[in-house]
Formats: sequence, C-alpha cells, structure tokens
Amino acid sequence: MLHPSCTQHRTGQRPLFSMANVIQLTLLLICCDGMNTETSPSPQSDPGITTQKAVSKGQNQVIIEELAILTPQKIELLCNLIDIPNNPPNITGYWTKDGQEIENSEESVNRNNEQYILKRTFSIEARDLGNYSCNFRENEAQVTFVLDVPAIKDTRNKPVVSYIGDSVVLECKLKLKHTPNTWNWYKANDTEKVLINVTANPQNYKIVINGSDTKLTVLNLTEEDSGKYICSAEFDIKPRESYVKLKVLSYTEPLKPFIAIVVEVIVLVTLILLWEKCNKPQQDNSSAGENDVCSEQTSKLAGDENNGVNNTARQRKLQP
Amino acid sequence: MPRPASTNLGYTPPDGGWGWAVVFGSFISIGFSYAFPKSLTIYFKEIQEYFSISYSEIAWVSSIMLATMYAGGPVSSVLVNRYGSRPVVIVGGLMVGVAMVTASFGTTIVHLYLCVGVIGGFGLAFNLQPSLTIIGKYFLVKRPIANGLAMAGSPVFLSTLAPLNQFLFDHFGWRGSFLILGGVLFNCCMAGSLMRPIKMRKTTDENDTGKLDVTSQRAGEDESKQSGCATKVNQFIDVSLFKHRGFLIYLVGNVLMFFGFFAPVVFLAPYAKHQGIDEYSAAFLLSIFALVDMFARPGTGLVANTRWIRPKIQYFFSLSVIFNGLCHIMCPLLPGYSGLVVYAVFFGLAFGMVCALLFEVLMDLVGAQRFSSAVGLATIIECGPVLLGPPISGLLVDIFLDYKYMYFACGVMMVLGGIFLYIMNYYNYRWLEKEGKQRKVEELEIGSAKELAANEENKDNEEEIRRNTQEEG
Repeated sequence: MLHPSCTQHRTGQRPLFSMANVIQLTLLLICCDGMNTETSPSPQSDPGITTQKAVSKGQNQVIIEELAILTPQKIELLCNLIDIPNNPPNITGYWTKDGQEIENSEESVNRNNEQYILKRTFSIEARDLGNYSCNFRENEAQVTFVLDVPAIKDTRNKPVVSYIGDSVVLECKLKLKHTPNTWNWYKANDTEKVLINVTANPQNYKIVINGSDTKLTVLNLTEEDSGKYICSAEFDIKPRESYVKLKVLSYTEPLKPFIAIVVEVIVLVTLILLWEKCNKPQQDNSSAGENDVCSEQTSKLAGDENNGVNNTARQRKLQP
Repeated sequence: MPRPASTNLGYTPPDGGWGWAVVFGSFISIGFSYAFPKSLTIYFKEIQEYFSISYSEIAWVSSIMLATMYAGGPVSSVLVNRYGSRPVVIVGGLMVGVAMVTASFGTTIVHLYLCVGVIGGFGLAFNLQPSLTIIGKYFLVKRPIANGLAMAGSPVFLSTLAPLNQFLFDHFGWRGSFLILGGVLFNCCMAGSLMRPIKMRKTTDENDTGKLDVTSQRAGEDESKQSGCATKVNQFIDVSLFKHRGFLIYLVGNVLMFFGFFAPVVFLAPYAKHQGIDEYSAAFLLSIFALVDMFARPGTGLVANTRWIRPKIQYFFSLSVIFNGLCHIMCPLLPGYSGLVVYAVFFGLAFGMVCALLFEVLMDLVGAQRFSSAVGLATIIECGPVLLGPPISGLLVDIFLDYKYMYFACGVMMVLGGIFLYIMNYYNYRWLEKEGKQRKVEELEIGSAKELAANEENKDNEEEIRRNTQEEG
C-alpha cells in the first residue's frame, strides 16, 4: 500500500463502513503537500503526467475523491484493490465517466502480491472534466475521482441590500486556497453578461483581488445597479462562475416602517399619560401625581392634616 | 426575621395595582438593555466589509456599548436619585433611539463607536438602573416575583430581536436596519412613561433614619453628617454604601462570580461546533438555553417569594451561583450532543435563577431607598470582570486548544463566589439578628426611660398644681 517515494499518506475511515467490511482508503500523492494541490510528476513515469492513486480494500463500499483541476493536463488515475476474498489470479476492471462506461477501457488485472492495480492515463481538457470511476466486474468496490475546477463558496441566496448614493462590497471566495489566473466580474443584463471594466469606469467600480478571493466595490449606486453580478475565476482549463445579487433601495423604504413605529410610540405614550391624568383627581392623597409641585403640596397638606388632627385631639384632652 | 433594610421606605409599597404595569415597563427596558448589544452581532459581517476593517475592530462596537452601559451605572443612579425613574428612562430611550438613527448615516467606524457604543450605551444604562430601582419602590412583599418577571425581559427580547434583526438585515441592509431599530428602541420611552413616580408622605418617626420623599428631594440632604467634599458626593450618590457590610459582601461575591458568568454563554455554540456538531444544532442549543432561561426567571421569583425562602434569600442566591458553577464543571464530562442538550437545559435554569435573584438580593441587603446608588456602584465595579471574562476565557481556549479548561475555570470561579457569598451571608444574618436584638433592647430602655421621665414630669405638675391650690386656698 505504501508508495516508495511518498513520505506522507492520509488514511481516512468513512463512517459508512460496517465493522465487518472496513474499507481503508489511502490516497497517496506524489508530492506530499496533501490533497488538491499542485502535484509534481511521478519519477517513475512521464514527466508530464500527474498521478492520483486510491486504495480500495475488500468489497462493497464506494469511495469518492475530489480533485481540483486547474490546467489541462494528463492525469493517471490508479485504483489499488486489496483483500479480495478468494484472491483470484486476475480480475476484470473498467472505467466509467459520469456513469457511462468508457469504450475500450476494460482490461484484465493480474494479481500482484495480493493487490490488483488498475490504472489509466486520461488527457483532461475542459470537456473532459467529470466523475471518473474504476469498477470491477467481479467486485462491488468502486472508487470515483471527481475532476473539476475549484468551486466557489456558496454566497447568500438573498440579495445584498444597499442604498442610492451609497457604496457596496460584493465578495466571491473559493472554497479552498487555489489561485486562479485572474478574477473577472460581470453584470448580468437579462440574457447576456457585460464585463465590468474598472479602468474605463474608475469612479463607479473597484476590484480587489487577493489570490483565492475577490471583492467588487460598486460606488455611487443607482437603481439600475440592482441585479445579478457574476464573478468568474479564470483557470487555464475552464472558468468557474458564481453570482451575487444586489438590490438598491431608496431611503424612503426603511423610512416608512420607522415613521410607523415612531407614531405608534407617540400614540402609546400620549395614551398612557392621559390615562394617568384622568385618574389623578381620584387619588389626591395617595400615589399618583406627575408634577413635583402638585404632589409636594398634596403631601404637605396630608402632613398638616395629620398634625392638625393630633393637635385638636390634644387640645380636646387638655381642656377640661 | 432579619430584614431591617427593607422597611426604611417610609411608606407601604402598593405591591400590585399599577405596579404590574411598572413591571411590564421594566420588562421592556431590561429586555432592550441586555439583549440589544448581543443582537447587533448579526450586522457585523456586512459592516466589516463595508468599512474594510477587521473583525476585532467591529467587535469593539459591542464591547464599547456594554462597557458604557455598565460604567454609566453611577451616572444613572445620580439622576434617578435626583429626578426619579421616569424622566431618566424616557431620556435614555430617546438617547438610544437617536443614537441608532444617527449611526445609520455613519460614514466611518468611529461614528459607530460613538453613536452606537457611547451614546447607545449610556442610553441603555439610563434604561437599566431606573427599571430596577422602581420595582423596589412599588413592591415589597411580592418583590421577588416582580424582579423575576422583569428580568425575564432579557431572554424574551433576545429571542425576539435575533430573528427580527435577521429579517431587517435581509430586507433593508445594515443602514436601513439601524434606522428601524432606532424607532423600535423609542419604545423604551413608552416603557418609561409607564413608570409613574410614587409619592408618599413621610411618616415622621424619630427612629426612622430613612430618606425622605423618594423622587423629588435630594438623597442624604437631611442627614449628612460629614462635611465638605464627602457631603457633596453623598448628595448625588450614596458612597457610604462602601461601609455597608452587606453591600461589600455582595460586591466581592459578584466580582468573583462575573468572571465566569458570561463566557460559557458566548462559547456554547463554538464549543458545540468544535465537538463536530453542525451549525443549526449548535444554534438550537442556544434556543433551548434561552427558552429555559425565560421560564426559570419568573419561576425563581415565585419560589423566592415563598415564606420559607424569602427570609433566607441570600442563601438561595449563593446556592444558585454554586449550582451554576457546578454545571460548568460538569459540562466537559457530558458526552455528545445529548450531553450538551442536558447541559443547556441545566445551564439555562441556573442562569435564569442567578439573574432573577441578582438584583433582588441587593435590594434585600441595602433596602429600596439606597438601591439606586447601590446598583450604580455595583455595575461600575462589575464592569471589569464582565468585560474581561470572555476574552480571558478565549485566551484559555487558545492556549490549551481545548474548551474543558475554560469550563473548569469558569465553574471554579462561580463556585468560589457562591461559597464566599454563602459563608459571609451566614455571618451577616447572625450579625443582623444580634444588631436587631440590641436595637430592640435599646428601644425598650429608651421607652422605659421616657416613661420614667414622663412620670416624673407628671408628679412635678401635680405638685405644682397642689401648691397653687394650697396658696390660693
């Protein structure tokens, strides 16, 4: 299972496997930077070919590996099957692309020290990107290599909202740290897309490119700036596109709910204070009262009243 | 029953009637004060991109708002002591509403720091303290329930503001949302208008050392015995509280507790994600926590009001703090998602219990009259641990690359705080009892001395009358 030139390999155990049939997938890379990075040519084969390997152990399970393809290249996909029951001297393997069997890809694989290696070199251009699987007639095991351009991180489904006269920043970012040749931004107009040219329009647009992510700043927004903005990561083989929606509103839009709420507050406050005033005459000597002056007087009165009562009582006592 | 502090009001609080409307107003004010700074985080990403700043720079907005809200406590207390709760809350509501409206037109991040952070923070401080103070003026017998209900505003508003903010953000972007939120915050003025000042005449009583009319007159005017600077300060805010034994116990215990109080809430979702749980389930944990919290607060208020717990409410509080700390210590030991759900439920319960009692025990210790100053001084001192707690915990996580040490640390701080409170309050209760008995003895002595003096006077009067009649006769 170990490739002589590799110092690092990654083993992954998928939770799909039952304890009885554990499939161990080992992806060996010639250049041991980890998956999906630039791979240097294998020393044993053609310098123009990169090799991707996968090891499938036992039977039953399906393994899927994603490979990022940035440039047109020749790639050798290798499937290594081990731990087959019965260990037949040879088995038949074939390749499929996107579920369709590739013509003339079937070949007989001889056993080699308990291993069965099926490999094939593919020349990948833009139209050749897809899912390549190695399959075996006698065995259920299958390994799928997904060859595709790097994907862009999902942007919000909902539009970005901004206002007339304001500016907005739209962003596109690749899921993993690949660097496209460049990024392009387009504005979509119904059916066609128009490239955004910053040099021609510097006071309205600014584009910042930072390797795997890019930011488009739209300045001096108007209502016509609303719509779909397409960001395109340009790779040698094929561009990858994604879009961000922009919605430009006028200031009156949030103003309407704001005024509604302020009116509601004023109405409620007025009602509460009126209710208090209405109840005030009924509560002369007790708690209610808004005015400091009013209630100080009432409390003084109440105090005087009490003292008055006491005084009269005392006077009554002393007088015979 | 050793509860001398609470009877210094000089009048009998209504314990109902309009008081429940006041509780509703406090519910709104407290809800906005606690929930609003936390709910703003939804806008941070967009504002961060708009101004091209880093995450820590935008996070300062929330921190400044919280810091100002706590630091503004004493200012708020001074104003409440002088003008009463209602004007202060209305002004606070206006401040925070205007702050958000101004922020929606901001052109630099510094505008946001000033508007949302400083002015908004002060506005919320002017909402928080008076709401707590006025409950003490309207309630005595049912005060724990009133406190529990009012404090329930925080989780209710947090659960409401979070989806509301998301909705506003999706439809109006951050600027429009700030404008509309400004309007929403004007409802604090409505809450303030509910806080009718309570005016009761003072019962003239020689032994009554309490302050006069609760709203219009300056605190301490009649009884300041010190001279010069101290008198002046005391007129605004009662710094003699620092000599109050109960207040000091509360302060020290709370400072210890607050170091570990908020960090577990902040880190609940990240901890869940760290365990491999997906974002939605992690967010659901917070919802469970908020839901349990929502019901735990009034529930605790009800329990604390019973005649078995009310006299020893300080013990109840310290036990809640210890319970809270134990939850954190147990958290890393609970396995998987179901373990975290159990933790969220118990944590919600403990958090709700502590929050519901937090200000009730302070009222119980210092009395409703001095509560306004007490809460102002307490919040400015608690400002430190509240703001330092989460970053220090974050540091622990970064150093050890594991959340369990942070949970242990938080749990231990809270347990320590709780134990301190329990032990010190045990002594405090005993000392208060002793002082109560002594005072009664003194009162009896004074009473009997008065009687004797009165008898002597009567005898003298009789003698004089006899002499006069003899002379005449």
